[in-house]
Order: sequence, then C-alpha cells, then structure tokens
Amino acid sequence: MIDVRALRKEYPVGDESVVALERIDLAVPRGQICCIFGESGSGKSTLLNQLAGLEKPTRGSVRIGGVPVSSLNERELAVFRQRHLGFVFQSYNLLPTLNAVENVAMPLMFRGVSRQRRERAARAMLERVGLKGRMGHYPAQMSGGQQQRVGIARAFIAGPQVVFADEPTGNLDSRTKVEVMEMICDFAHARRQTIVLVTHDDHMARYADRIVTLFDGRIVDDTLNTH
Amino acid sequence: MRFADILRLCRQNLLRRKSRTVLTVLGVVVGCCSIVLMVSLGAGINEQNERMLESMGDLSIITVYAGGSGAGGGIDGKQTALDDKAVEEFRSIPQVAGVTPMASMPYTASLKTGGGDRYVVDYVQVMGIDTTQLDAMGYVLLEGRAPLRSGEVLLGEYTAYDFMDRFRAGEDSMRHHSRGSGGMCVFDESTGTCREAADDPDPFFDPLTTPLTLVAGPSFNGLLSSEGVMAGDAGAAGTPLETALTPVGILKEDYNKGGATSSGLILPLDDLKQLVRDADPSSARASAYDQALVKVTDMAQVGEVEDQIRALGFGTSSVRQMRESLEEQSRSIQLILGGLGAVSLLVAAIGIANTMIMSVTERTREIGIMKSLGCTVRDIRIMFLGEAGAIGFLGGVIGCVISAIASVAINLVSFASADVRGVVTAVIGGGEATRVSVIPWWLYLFAIAFSTAIGLLSGFQPANRAVRIPALDAIRNAT
Repeated sequence: MIDVRALRKEYPVGDESVVALERIDLAVPRGQICCIFGESGSGKSTLLNQLAGLEKPTRGSVRIGGVPVSSLNERELAVFRQRHLGFVFQSYNLLPTLNAVENVAMPLMFRGVSRQRRERAARAMLERVGLKGRMGHYPAQMSGGQQQRVGIARAFIAGPQVVFADEPTGNLDSRTKVEVMEMICDFAHARRQTIVLVTHDDHMARYADRIVTLFDGRIVDDTLNTH
Repeated sequence: MRFADILRLCRQNLLRRKSRTVLTVLGVVVGCCSIVLMVSLGAGINEQNERMLESMGDLSIITVYAGGSGAGGGIDGKQTALDDKAVEEFRSIPQVAGVTPMASMPYTASLKTGGGDRYVVDYVQVMGIDTTQLDAMGYVLLEGRAPLRSGEVLLGEYTAYDFMDRFRAGEDSMRHHSRGSGGMCVFDESTGTCREAADDPDPFFDPLTTPLTLVAGPSFNGLLSSEGVMAGDAGAAGTPLETALTPVGILKEDYNKGGATSSGLILPLDDLKQLVRDADPSSARASAYDQALVKVTDMAQVGEVEDQIRALGFGTSSVRQMRESLEEQSRSIQLILGGLGAVSLLVAAIGIANTMIMSVTERTREIGIMKSLGCTVRDIRIMFLGEAGAIGFLGGVIGCVISAIASVAINLVSFASADVRGVVTAVIGGGEATRVSVIPWWLYLFAIAFSTAIGLLSGFQPANRAVRIPALDAIRNAT
C-alpha cells in the first residue's frame, strides 16, 4: 500500500542544510497498523509529512496505492488526500466554529458531497464512536476524549485507504488512551485500512502490527509485533 | 467544494468576529459614501449646467453665416454664397434633420392693430424662415398652426405682450409677462409682493384672432417716432408699406432659432422677400441669405456637422464650445471630488487588508487542518477572497443606502422645503428645481462594484499568504 524508496529530506538552516531523513526505504502492506516510533527530533514527524504528501522530499519517492505522491502537484495532492487519506491529530484539530456533525462531515464537504448526504454519513459515524448525544456540540463543549473521537470519526468518514495518526493519544489520560487506540484499530481492521501511527509512547506502540524505530533520521529497527 | 459551502464558511467566519467585521465594513461604508456623495455633487453641477444650456435654447442648432470666419472668404479666397444651393448642400449631410435660411427685415418695422390702431409695437423683429421646415427644425408651436398661405404669419411667444395701448397712460399701457422665469416669483412693484408665473395677465387681445398690420419702409423710423406718417404725411423717402397679416400660430421662445421666436414676427421666407421688394424695388438683392439654421439629429453630432459646414467655407456658431468647456470644467471638478472620496476608500481598503491578515494569522491552524483534510488551495483562496469581497460588498450596499438618504437630505436643505413635492423632486429631479446632489443609477452600481473590487483586491495578498501556509507545521506550531 505504501512504498517508500531512498527517501531523503534536508531542511535549510541558515547557509547549511540539516538532514532530517536519510535513506528511508519502507513498504507497508494493506491493512497493516504500522507504528513509527522514536524520540522527539528523530524525524518521525518529518517522515509522516513526506508520506502524506504534505511536504516534498529532497530525493527519493513515496507511492501510496501505486500513486507517486511525491511528484503530484498541489491540486492533485489535495484531491488525493480527499479520496484516499485520513488524519488523526494529537491536538484533535477540530474547527471551533463547526459542531461535531459538521466537523466530521468536513472531508466530504471538500469533496463536494451535498450537505444532506454528508451530514447523514457524519451522524452515522458519530454513533459508531459513541457520541450519539453530542451531535450538535461544539469542540469547546466536549472533553479531550470526546474531541478525539470526533477526530477519529472525521478521519474514517470518507473511507480512506490510509489513515495517518500523529500522536493521537498524546493529550489524553491513560484510560482514554486505551479507548481511542482500540477504536482506531477496530475501524482499521473492519475495512482493512492501513494505519500509520506516529508515537513516542511505547504503550501505544503495542497496538501496532509492526514497529519502525527512527533515530537521527534513519530507520534503526523494524520489527513485527506478535500479539 | 461546493460554492454554497464556501459561502457558508465565509458567513460563519465573518460572524465569528462580529465587532471586527462591523468596524471593517463601517470603514468601507464611509469610503463608499464619500465617493458617491462627492461624485453626486459633481453630477449636480452637470445637471445645473445642462439646465442652463437648455434655457438658452435648442442645443442641436448650428447657426451658419455667409463667409468663413477670419478672412471672410472661402478657403481659396472665393466667396461662398449662402444661397439655396448651399442650403441644399447642408441638407444632404446625413446627420442633418432640417435646414432653413434665416432672413431678416432690413428696415425698421412696426405693428399695429385694433380699432383706430389702438395697439402698437413700435419696433418688431421680423424674421423670414422656410416655414415648411418648422417640424424638421424642431420649432415648437405653442398654439395654432403653421402658415399655409401668403399673408399668414407666426408670432413669437411674447409678441402679444409687446403691444402698447395708445389710449392709456403709464403702467396701464403695457401688459407684462414674467417670461419663463419658471416657478420663481416675479416681484410686482405695484403690489410689493411676489407673483407666480401663472398669475400673468392676458395680453390686450387674442393674438390668434386679431389681424395685424405691418408697417415698414426704408426710411421708416417706427410708428411712435414718426406720428406724422399716421396722419398721411409721407416722409422724404416715400410712404412706408403697410401689409395686412393674419397670425396663425405662436412659436415657443428659443434664442438659438432666432430672436423673433421670443417677441417678433416670423414670416414665410417668400413673403419676406416680397415685402422687401415691395418696400423698395431698388433693393432687389441677390438670392443670398445672411444666416441659415441647421438642425442636427443628435446633439452629440453637432461638432461633426459643424466641421463639415466650416469645410464648405462658412462661418458657424453653436453651443458646442460653451458646452464643451462647461463639461470639461465639471469633469475636472468631478475628478477632484471623486479623488477626495477615493482617499477614504483607500483607507477602507487598508482596513480590509488588515482585518484579513489578522484573520489569516488567527486561522493559520484551521487552514492547516483544512489543507491536510484535502481542501484545495483554490477553495481556501476563494474562501478568503469571499470574506474580503463580502466586507466590500456589504460596505458598498450600506454606503449606497446612506448616500441616497444623505443626497436627498442635502437637496431638501438646498430647496429649503420639506413638503412631499420637495421630497419627490429631491429624489428624482425634474421640475424647475436644480438639485445640488445628483446620484445617477449607474453610480450605485459602480460604487457597489468598486467597493467589492476593493475588498477582493485587499483580500488578495492575505489569501495568498493563507494558501502558502504549510499544513502540518501550522497544526503543530499552533498547538
């Protein structure tokens, strides 16, 4: 599903450039929950940016489902994200002016789905994440765990092939962490969706099928998890 | 993304920061009002100028003189005669609606009528025109009809008021008319009060049913100054000629079509020629005229036709020059006023840009989220431009409404009256009143379009800034 070849990313700092990623080769098959594990500064967020097409790599290529993400233009990328990618963020990142239903429906709105249809789908998703009674609530009226469940519903509503989760449990207490991680895994398993989970929390890494460890911009370890 | 959804997001974002939006819109309102009101003052000056020109007569008339301007001859030195051939030549110019020669009586002429020649005009202006061209030339018959037979004549609008009653003395011997001073009042010395135009008295007699006698001759000096003539005592140069005339119509006063339309006598051209020949057979002149009037179909083509006639070797005059200089003047006033107004709209534009930049900065994170969820750069740009444009549009609409009210108020103050008729005049104009502030309908459209454009323009840079925000950085930095 995801195929990364000889990826390299440099950032200019002053006159010099800092190498954030070097010689990354990675293949993630469909349906796998792949954890990218590493200390802060190890380059895991940079890698996520490259995978999701949010940044262009300095060298190398990224393919998702056969599509060369790293060479799409901005507009093609946006459309590709609409159709094939989902995101769960550490700080939930719901839009404060939209209520739960509208937030979940957002990816469908970008695709041009009619309001009635996308909000019906959004209500169904919210029911699945157990927020039936909070449809009309605004982010500020919900707890962190509830907000992250809205975030999960939003990531999965459009049926993406790959969902990127960037420290999805980073801001949650330990009980909610477990709830949220299980929810993400359940969704992924139900429809054989691929998950790329970025975390520095080894408790969370345990939910993954595979753990790729980054250190100083290189893959230093790649192990399959036996549950 | 559907356009309706983009608009909905725009609305939500504008309502989120209500006071900021309101203040920014207010800036545009002020800018829009100042432009509209300033330009409306300029348009008011235009309307006043136009009124003034109209009061001077038909603006599409060119007066043609024999002989070119300057050297008095044609281009190659040969005199171009203003005769029937020349008149035909003018008529063949496509934009010309009508042409008439204009001949005048070379002698002093008087009019008399009534029993015992009671009513007289000592000096009357006599003009001969081609009366078959009345309609084509745009002469307006106030009463009666055009002359059909020899001996039938037309009167000027106020000719009947020029008669003096010889059997009365002092004030009573004349009937005065306020002469088109419109709704303004005429000071009446006898009563010491204002008199409306409608209170004008009738002339001594009905001019259309009373036959007149025209007295004229080479050495005639007017009825009153040569009373002896009345008694049959002929002057040295022979008896003046008396001609019986039947007035059949009254023409509206129009100085551009001959002064006789005010208080004179208008004869068919052939009658006048005959009269002159009869009065003094020795004066049988060539068939050339002093002047001719050319009526142009469209006022805008006056200049063009005038140039053509000049090229034929004639001198011309029209209100064109005056009109052009007036227009030039009011255009520069309008430009100055509009420029003043534009400054405040410029300030408003800066306000919009400021608001939008603030908004982009505030929403950096949201933009990142939207981008990472697959919102296209185009949609984000449209969204920000939409917000900026909406501020401009709203400001423009509100500004126009306020300007309309202010304009009416300015006019009412200038009329110094607030009755219903005053309000109606202040809004749509018309009547004799000249408005100080005139807002033509296109100015509203222009103002709204301009404000919206200003909004879009000021939103352009912030929108570009918004789309350049890298998605994930924005999300992380704002955490």
